[in-house]
Amino acid sequence: MRVGSLTVKPPPFDYSAPDTLEEALFLLGEAGDEARPLAGGQSLVPLLSLRLARPSLLVDLAGITTLRTLGAADGHLALGAMVRERQAERDVRVRRLAPVLADALPLIGHPAIRSRGTIGGSLSHADPAAELPAVALVLEAELVAESRARGRRSIAAANFFTGFFTTELAPDELLTSLRVPSPAPGTGWAVDEVARRHGDFAIVGAAAMVRLDTSTGRIGEARVALAGVGDTPVRLRETERMLDGAEPADGAFADAAEDAAARLSPPADVHGSAAYRRHIAGVLVRRTLKLAAQRAREAA
Amino acid sequence: MTSFDVELTVNGLARRATVEARRTLADFLREDLGLTGTHLGCEHGVCGACTVLVDGEPARSCLMLAVQARGADVRTVEGLAAGGKMNRLQEAMWDSHGFQCGFCTPGFLMQITALLADIPEPSEAEIREALSGNICRCTGYESIVNGVLRAAGATGFLE
Amino acid sequence: MQHIAERYTGASVRRSEDPRILTGSGRYVDDVRLPGMLHAAFVRSPVAHARITRIDVRAAAEAPGVTLVLTGEELERSLVPGPGIAAMFSGGAPVPAFTTLASDKVRVVGDPVVLVVAESRYLAEDACELVEVDYEELPAVMTSQAAQDPASPAIFEDLASNVLVRSPVAVFGDVDGAFARADRIVRADLRQHRHQNAPMECRGVVCSFDPESGELTVHSATQGVHIVRTTLSTALGLPPEKVRVLAGDIGGSFGLKLGAYREDVACAAASRRLGRPVRWMEDRLENLTFSGQAREESFEVEAAVTNEGEILGLRVKMTIDTGAYPGMGAMLPELVKTMIPGPYKIGALSFEWTAVVTNKAAYVAYRGPWASETWVRERMIDLIAMELGMEPLEVRLRNVATRETPPLRMVTGRSLAGVTARESLEAVAAKVDLPAFRRLQAGARGHGRYLGLGVATYIEPAPGPLEGRGGGGIMGPEQVRLRLEEDGTVTLFTSQMPHGQSHQTTFAQVAADEFGVPIEQVRVVVGDSDLVPMGFGTGGSRAAIMAGGASLHGARALKARVEEIASHLFEAGAEDVELSGGSVAVRGVPASAMSLAELARAARSPGRLPPSLAGDVEVTAAFDGGEGGWSGGSHAAVVEVDVETGQVRVERYVVAEDCGTLINPAIVEGQVRGGIAQGIGAVLLERSAYDEETGQYLSSTFMDYVLATACEIPRIEIEHLETVPLDADVNFRGVGEGGMIIAPPTLCNAIEDALSPFGVRVFEQHLPPARILELIGAIPAG
Repeated sequence: MRVGSLTVKPPPFDYSAPDTLEEALFLLGEAGDEARPLAGGQSLVPLLSLRLARPSLLVDLAGITTLRTLGAADGHLALGAMVRERQAERDVRVRRLAPVLADALPLIGHPAIRSRGTIGGSLSHADPAAELPAVALVLEAELVAESRARGRRSIAAANFFTGFFTTELAPDELLTSLRVPSPAPGTGWAVDEVARRHGDFAIVGAAAMVRLDTSTGRIGEARVALAGVGDTPVRLRETERMLDGAEPADGAFADAAEDAAARLSPPADVHGSAAYRRHIAGVLVRRTLKLAAQRAREAA
Repeated sequence: MTSFDVELTVNGLARRATVEARRTLADFLREDLGLTGTHLGCEHGVCGACTVLVDGEPARSCLMLAVQARGADVRTVEGLAAGGKMNRLQEAMWDSHGFQCGFCTPGFLMQITALLADIPEPSEAEIREALSGNICRCTGYESIVNGVLRAAGATGFLE
Repeated sequence: MQHIAERYTGASVRRSEDPRILTGSGRYVDDVRLPGMLHAAFVRSPVAHARITRIDVRAAAEAPGVTLVLTGEELERSLVPGPGIAAMFSGGAPVPAFTTLASDKVRVVGDPVVLVVAESRYLAEDACELVEVDYEELPAVMTSQAAQDPASPAIFEDLASNVLVRSPVAVFGDVDGAFARADRIVRADLRQHRHQNAPMECRGVVCSFDPESGELTVHSATQGVHIVRTTLSTALGLPPEKVRVLAGDIGGSFGLKLGAYREDVACAAASRRLGRPVRWMEDRLENLTFSGQAREESFEVEAAVTNEGEILGLRVKMTIDTGAYPGMGAMLPELVKTMIPGPYKIGALSFEWTAVVTNKAAYVAYRGPWASETWVRERMIDLIAMELGMEPLEVRLRNVATRETPPLRMVTGRSLAGVTARESLEAVAAKVDLPAFRRLQAGARGHGRYLGLGVATYIEPAPGPLEGRGGGGIMGPEQVRLRLEEDGTVTLFTSQMPHGQSHQTTFAQVAADEFGVPIEQVRVVVGDSDLVPMGFGTGGSRAAIMAGGASLHGARALKARVEEIASHLFEAGAEDVELSGGSVAVRGVPASAMSLAELARAARSPGRLPPSLAGDVEVTAAFDGGEGGWSGGSHAAVVEVDVETGQVRVERYVVAEDCGTLINPAIVEGQVRGGIAQGIGAVLLERSAYDEETGQYLSSTFMDYVLATACEIPRIEIEHLETVPLDADVNFRGVGEGGMIIAPPTLCNAIEDALSPFGVRVFEQHLPPARILELIGAIPAG
């Protein structure tokens, strides 16, 4: 990371802690892109401290109780944007209805990060190496957003992550909840990542879901998404299509991995070259698909 | 810039100070409340030295603004020894030669306090995972892990 | 009265440091609060190499809360010119001219250019952003090859080139003969990467100048208060007695916090100018970018060997990248030269070296600064074994010097008396059960699992044989002062400045045993230049033997003094007086017993004693380390490499170490484990990375300079051997640096062994997952 000023104290800004969503949206609407919503702060505060972010106003969402609800209804798991990662990690409904999410949560940072970090904050921050954005893609989750100007809208995860740390959200718009459809019966899942250390951002992370056709035992649907391989999290749709109707065998997963790796042009940094990330992506695609298929078989 | 009154409970006592919005909770504890037991090792959320408990959950005090802690119940390393008597964890760390230079110590102690509240008898693997967000540059961690096991009453690890 | 059942020395006594450290009541430099204290921050260079063409500080000077803004030029007017601490560790290399704050040029990213002092650190950082500096960029010299190119722009204009030193070739033994007799010559180009100390507490200082008295008081995070005093008094032109340096708890250092740095000098000058205390606490980004780095050295090595694995001789060419400003880089090659034969009977050596200047952070001391001698030698031995198809352990045992076969001396001249390398090698080999491991390894490979075993051995001068160490100077004998207080306790003053090593416990153990009082009655005072005896401070693995020995002799002298005083008070012969259990009495007359408190009070009472004994009951003792000798040992690591992801897991780590008599086994083991953790980190995780085109620093956060956590460091099995005693009383050896010296070769050897089915040869020390995959050919080299 290039850090110009080598300083660690945040620059001045104003702060507001509204009690209601309406009030928060009003503040964001008034301030435009000078304001930043503050969720758990686990990504934003270090950016402030390194003076890489300079909002004039922080709108703290912690007091808005409606954003903290976690519930399951009509086949969906609904997580309010301000649900802490640690809270979701401990919730049995998350484990039951979205095991791929439940498995991904403990990979985010460390306990002290997850106890503050929020579902909505992580998704809105859109770090391409973070776990939740890739998981949202593989889950085909819906992200519910709200603003004063546009009202409420639902954005498919596939359309949410638009670029490097950027999303479909307008500056005055807040992510309010994540809606996760329950997986079809007989779906297996897997999450895996390679990081320098336990708890670090993934060099590459992968999330996969595989549903087996109950009559043929062949792959009915395969989904796989990656973190750390580009400007955004990546869903590997072409690779998935290769697996439609295929035998859930090592050969098919190896072919899929090779196909996936070939399609990527990942970034390089001090932790590894582009070639390294591409290679790891292949390994993780194979490993996660294989494990997901195995779990699907066990579920059947 | 506007200043904010921050009222909160620290180690069971009501505390209050007026600070800028940008003041981190760590600086608030150290500079405004004089609680220098909480240490700053990186100020970008990686080393864990500044870990405190906020409403019972571990949190990096360098990654929180003081204004975010309004109304919260904060515990720091100074709050562990009730009445000046070291608690079970502190005694166990003393017996285990847990730490050396002591700079990472407050963060470890608070993270371990949270761990033991969650899992009273953690396995070594659970301990290591729970502590993976706290960096110690001196010990190689074994003595710290031993201290946690000792505090949890697991003495089987001792030869 | 407490009965002393047994000796403290040798027991894992609980640390006296812990009650304050575990309760948050330690006092680190960042905890110092002085009335009227101001806060400093530095504007630092964003580029690696440039001429400064303009500095405009007007806006910063007028910013809220700002009390002082100083440029290099202005600061220099208040300082005494000179090389400062740079000359102390230069090893005789030329010391270039430069200013405390960069004024004409910047030479590394992070170079301090302007000092801002304000009412808070937040305000100081705000004002830093308002300083305008124009840079005319120069090409950055980022590698030792580039530095040796005569066309590279001179980083220091008063040096003829970026080559600081090119040594003559030193020859020991019959090198040409050894190579002529050799069956084979094994060649390798070996390189170490940049590491850094990264103590959890960064550097820091609080300077407080009192205009009334003209005295400067400095609170410093340092390994030695007197070096800081010397540096600051020299730079500020103050008499040394007008400078008092205090140090409290220190949050680690590992060699970094030696003496006063440029920032400390600037803060002291600012405090003198303002008449108010000025605090600077280095932040982590500054620490990683600028404070100092180490280990970047490369070697061209040729080994003359026989087909039976005997190493006849070595030819070594060393190049060291000392970074931009003088640190310790230029003094190390001579140490590496002396030490490179290690505990082996290598009969001939030629050694030459080159030190260069580059636009990177200064080369500083880091735990076992000369460690490349061990890494290079132990790496070469495994490469030789591979070449010959021998078990590496066999090559080691064939060449290691043993006590039964003199001469016990390195070809470079140093005595190897007391070294137990063979014993420690045999101990670790037995512990890992080498034949059983080889069977396991072969079986695992059949299942696509790649296990490897690495063994390595080392010796460490702790402090090394007296002969060749030199007698005097700041690295000479260690002094302690002991005083019997009026409450009957003993105060021990030492120049050692512990920063994790637990000296306040260990010296008290030694002194309590020798003086014969409970350990609670011995208080060890450190960190006050007005109180502690003059000395270098903590470093060079001196403390256990030098200060431990001085503590023993000091306690013995204090006991003699007490008995002498008692004999006067009792009007008995000195031989009839006995000190035991905290009181003195005439032998056989328990009723005569006098407590130590009473004795101390009596001694201070006028007229009760002859003038030579009256007053404070105080002695000073010095110890030169005696025959001292070596610490050392052998380590073995078992690793498993995931050849799909390149990740390495350390499955097992075994140590047989010899630091002589253990003062406190738990403290010794803590030092050993901590050093190993740093060594494992160096190989698998840590690298100070630069962009070689732009000179930008790429590892300025803990997300990029990656330190090992509890999940990466395994349990470490330790067996203690005891050196043959060389001294009648003092057989402690320093043990602080060894783990960091020996873990890197142990791990590199294990990884190479794991990857041997791929024909991998390891010529570098840093082996992160991406590099492992390159080595086995899974991905192209990046």
